[in-house]
Amino acid sequence: MKRRALLQWLVSGAAMLPLRRADLSALSAADELSAGHVFLLRDVASTVLPSAIGPKGQDEAVDNFLRWLRDYKEGVPLSHGYGEPRLVRSGPSPAPGYGAQVTALQQAATERGGRFGALPLSERRAILDAAFKSAGVQNLPGRPDGKHVVADLMAHYFRSSAANDLCYHARIGRHTYRAIRVTTVRPLPLNGGRGL
Amino acid sequence: MPVHESDICVIGGGITAAMMVERLSELKPGLRITVVEAGRSIFDRENRGQYHRRALEYGEHPWHDDFIADQQAKGMISMTMAVGGQALHWGGACNRFSEEDLRLKSLFGLADDWPITWAELERYYVEAERRLNVAGDTSPYPQDRRSAPYPQPAMPLSYNLQTLKRWAEQSGLKFSPLPLSRNVTAPFGGRGACGLYDTCGDVCPTGARYSPDYTYQQLVAANKVTLHDRMLVRRLVVDQGRSTIAVAQGHHQDRPNEVTEYRAKQFVLASGQCWSPHLLLLSTSARFPNGVANRSGLVGRFMNGHKFISAQATIDEETFPGQNMTHSLISREYFRCATDKAFVRHDTRVWESSAGKEPRLRGGDGGLLLGDELLKEWRGRALKGSSVRLRTYYDSHPSLDSRLSLDPTSKNRYGDPMPKIERRLDLAAEAREAATLAHCTEVFERMARASRGRLAGQPSVSDYWDHPAGGCRMGTDPSSSVCDSFGRTHDHENLFVIGAPTLPTGGCTNGTLTFVALSLRSAVKIAES
Repeated sequence: MKRRALLQWLVSGAAMLPLRRADLSALSAADELSAGHVFLLRDVASTVLPSAIGPKGQDEAVDNFLRWLRDYKEGVPLSHGYGEPRLVRSGPSPAPGYGAQVTALQQAATERGGRFGALPLSERRAILDAAFKSAGVQNLPGRPDGKHVVADLMAHYFRSSAANDLCYHARIGRHTYRAIRVTTVRPLPLNGGRGL
Repeated sequence: MPVHESDICVIGGGITAAMMVERLSELKPGLRITVVEAGRSIFDRENRGQYHRRALEYGEHPWHDDFIADQQAKGMISMTMAVGGQALHWGGACNRFSEEDLRLKSLFGLADDWPITWAELERYYVEAERRLNVAGDTSPYPQDRRSAPYPQPAMPLSYNLQTLKRWAEQSGLKFSPLPLSRNVTAPFGGRGACGLYDTCGDVCPTGARYSPDYTYQQLVAANKVTLHDRMLVRRLVVDQGRSTIAVAQGHHQDRPNEVTEYRAKQFVLASGQCWSPHLLLLSTSARFPNGVANRSGLVGRFMNGHKFISAQATIDEETFPGQNMTHSLISREYFRCATDKAFVRHDTRVWESSAGKEPRLRGGDGGLLLGDELLKEWRGRALKGSSVRLRTYYDSHPSLDSRLSLDPTSKNRYGDPMPKIERRLDLAAEAREAATLAHCTEVFERMARASRGRLAGQPSVSDYWDHPAGGCRMGTDPSSSVCDSFGRTHDHENLFVIGAPTLPTGGCTNGTLTFVALSLRSAVKIAES
C-alpha cells in the first residue's frame, strides 16, 4: 500500500481498527502503537519536525521515537541525582495514552475537515495547542515524559545530538563517540542540504 | 557463625580502600587482606555502553542496584553503596589542595592546622596522580609547585574551552585545564582510552575515567585480596581487657539473621565521611558507651566539605555546546589569601553551557512553535553569543556542631539508627558568608565585563556542601582529634580510619585526590604495623 493511499484509508476511519504488527509489519515500528497510530504520527511529524531533515529524516525521527517507546522499561530506578538524592522509578509505559492521543488528534482533524497533515497550518497549530494545554504540556520536556505523544516526539528529536548539530549547523556530535582531537577545533559544518 | 580471619580487614570498598589495598599488596606481598563492603559488586563493564545510552535516553540510573534502600542517611549527597563507592560515577577531577589548607590556624588564625606538612602530603599527591593516571598541566601559579610532572599531559581543551579560556583570562585570572583522572589517548590500568562520550559523571563506557571496580577486579583476580560484598558491618568489638579491636561483626544481605565475624590484626575503616563515623558511633559497649574511638567525643563532629557559588554568564563569543561539557577550566588565583586582608579562599571554575539555548515549545509571545518555526527560534537564541557556567568552591570551615548523629526516627532492617548529617559553619565562617558571596560575585562580574559579557541573574549559594569529608578528624592531640595523621585512632592501636573522614577541613576544591593521597600515606603506616 502506498503512503498516499494508506493515508486516505486512515482518514476513512478504518485506521481506528486495531492492527497487529504482523499485519503491517513493514509499517508499524513499535508493538505498543497500532500501525494506524504510527501512520497518523508520521503525518503529524511532517508538521512538528523541521523540513530541513526532509521526509526521510522525519520518518527516521519517528522510527527512533518508536524504538524509544518499544525499549521503555517500567519501574526502573532513575538517576538518583547528586546533592539531594532521591529514589524515583520510571512510570508506566506511555504507549496506551499515546494511542488515545493520536486518535484524538485525528478526530479533531476530521472535525475540521480532513486529514491532519492536509489542514492549514493554523488549524494544525490550534489542534496541537489545545491538545498540549489539555495534557498540561508547558514546554518541551527534557526527554519524553508521557504527557503528550507529539510533545514527546518533538522532545525526542529536538533534544537529540542530531538536532543540536542541525541547530548549530555544525558536526558537534554531543554524547557520541569522538576522537578528542576532533573537538579541539571549530566543528565542521554539516553537509549541504542540511544546513541553514 | 562464620568466622573469617585475615591480617587486615578493610571495611568499605570505595576508592580510598582500592588505592590503599593496592599499595599494601605491593608493600607486603602475601598479606591476607579482606575487604568487606555493604553494597554489591557491579562488574558488568561489558554493558556500560548500553547503560550510557539508556541513561541519556531514559534518565535511568546506570549503576543497577547500587544502593540499599534501608541504609540511607539524611544529609548524604549520594545514595550509592557498592564496590567502588561513589567513585563509580565521579567526574574524575583531581585537584590538589594548597599549602594554605594545611595551615589555616597558623596563617589566618582560623579553623585548625592539619598534622602533616605540605611537603609530606605532596609526595603522596604525586603517587596518587600516578596511580590514577591524572592528566594535567603545570599550574600557571608558581606557588603550586610540584615535585614531579603529571603522568599525562592535560586533557586537550575543546574549541569551546579554548574560547572560554581566552575570554576568562581577560579578567586577569589564569586558567588551566582541570586535572582529570582519565586515560586521554591510551589505555592504562586495564581501562580503555577516552571516547569523549561526555558522561563521565554518570558512566564511562570505555573505563577511561578511573573507576575503582577495575582495581578490585584486578586485585581479586591476582588473589591479593578477598572481597566480601553485600556484607554490612554493624559493629566493631573491642578486646576484653585491652583497647584493640577484636572483631568486626557483619550481616550478609541474604542471611540477615546470621552474624559473620571478621577477625584481623589490623582493622581499616574506609567507609567514607558518612558510614565511617556511623559505624564507630554504633559500636557502643559498657566500656565504650559513646562508641569506638570516641573518647574525645569528636566522632561525627566537624563534618566538612565546602559550599559553592554558582552563576551563568552570557558572552559574545561563539561556542558550540556539546563538545566536551564535563571538562572545565580552573583558576587557583584565590587559593591564596593575603594575611592582612579579609579572608576568602576559593577555586574558580568555567564550563561550556547550553543554558538558555535549549529548544523551546513556545515563542516569546506564548505561541506554539512547530517544526521550522521552532528551529528558527532556537537558532535565533543559540547562535547569539554563548552561555558560560561559573562556579566557586569556597573554604567553609565547620563548627564543632557540624555533625553526624544517630537518627532514632530512621532505622534499617536491623533496628540500627541511620545517620543524620547537619553541617554548620563555625562562627568566623558564618560571619564572612555575605562578604564571600560579594567577593565571588565581583569576580564573576569582572570576568563577564572583560568581554562585554554579563551575568544572567544573581549568583547563588549552594544548599548543600560538596565533596564532603570529616567526622573522624586527624590531629596530634587525642583530646581534640579522633586519629593521628596516618588515620590510626588514638584509642585503638589496631584501628585506622582512612580518607575523607580524617580531614579537619574540606579545602576549596574537589577532595578525592587528597582522600587518596592520605590513604596511600596510611598504607605505609599500616604495612609497618
